[in-house]
Amino acid sequence: MFSNRIFSALRNTAISRNVTAFRSTPSGQFFWDTSRKLLIIASWVPAVVFFNENVGMVTFISGPSMYPYLNTNYNESQSKDACWVNKWKPAENLKRGMLVSFWSPAHPEVLAVKRVIALPGDKVVTRAPYPMPTVDIPCNHIWVEGDNKDGTKTLDSNYYGPISTSLVQGKITHVLWPWNSAGSIRWWEFKGRTKVVKGRGED
Amino acid sequence: MPLPQFFTHRHATAPLLILTTTLKTFFFTHLFLTHIYTLKPTRGPSMLPTLEVFGDSVLISRYFRRGRDVKVGDVVSFDSVVVSGEEVIKRVVGCQGDFVILQDEVGRGEKMLQVPEGHCWVVGDNLSASRDSRHFGPMPMAVIKGKVVAKVFPWSERKWIDDGLRPVETQ
Repeated sequence: MFSNRIFSALRNTAISRNVTAFRSTPSGQFFWDTSRKLLIIASWVPAVVFFNENVGMVTFISGPSMYPYLNTNYNESQSKDACWVNKWKPAENLKRGMLVSFWSPAHPEVLAVKRVIALPGDKVVTRAPYPMPTVDIPCNHIWVEGDNKDGTKTLDSNYYGPISTSLVQGKITHVLWPWNSAGSIRWWEFKGRTKVVKGRGED
Repeated sequence: MPLPQFFTHRHATAPLLILTTTLKTFFFTHLFLTHIYTLKPTRGPSMLPTLEVFGDSVLISRYFRRGRDVKVGDVVSFDSVVVSGEEVIKRVVGCQGDFVILQDEVGRGEKMLQVPEGHCWVVGDNLSASRDSRHFGPMPMAVIKGKVVAKVFPWSERKWIDDGLRPVETQ
């Protein structure tokens, strides 16, 4: 067969004979096996990326904006809470009180974690840096705020306004670390201090 | 009792190998289409005359996702901020810090605003049939999914898509 002839021709080249000789030495054997294993591991990298972007991933919370709910030890240590982010259909079924991760509107390469305060159609009473006293949330937008009572510790919708749900990357479902606060996030128990006039009866 | 010959044969693991290879191929293709390049059909009149109303396909470079290295004049593809799940193609007319003049109708009210940090101002090439930043305001760059590099199909009308900026002729 033609392909067989090509392979035998390749096998007889000087490079090919050197490779064969190298593979028969112990270090050559080790090199060959290691590179083979590394290639097998590398071939699964796209699958890991797919999982992290579409199914879920672990994220570490930095900063005090969700204190005291997340990073409860913020004032005592530098440890960061580890959370599980569900990334499956992130913009769907958003509810008030849920924790979401989204690309910060002001910094496109930064993922922020905040709490959903209001949904499309709601009216929100805003806080200090926002120019208007109340705001109506437009279609496909949400109002997000940090939990920290000190408004200067959280950069949220009071700064940049309602955010598009296209920015939302995932919902935070579980706290994994530290152990004493680990568990699923009971977002439905959240009682906010921001005044929201609910726009839709069914939510 | 010896196992049936099928299980002792060296091709017994072939189904597993086929399955993992298929999965790997799928995930690699997905990674390529979401992070490197993709080819997408377009429709709608908002980018006339750069893109036709119907039947065009464009090459999108994913390197520019989330607005990385996007400059004024680039044609970008992004997730609509108004209709969820819809991908839109528009031209970037202003980057963060730029001043844009918003004109409601010819000769009517005119106001100037500055594009905030991390945002850009996108407008369709066909102003009279485009829903863009003139309606929804500055758009966060994080929703950008890529830059439209070229129109590929129909093959006879293939062309690179440039920034459309021309030096002003002094007279």
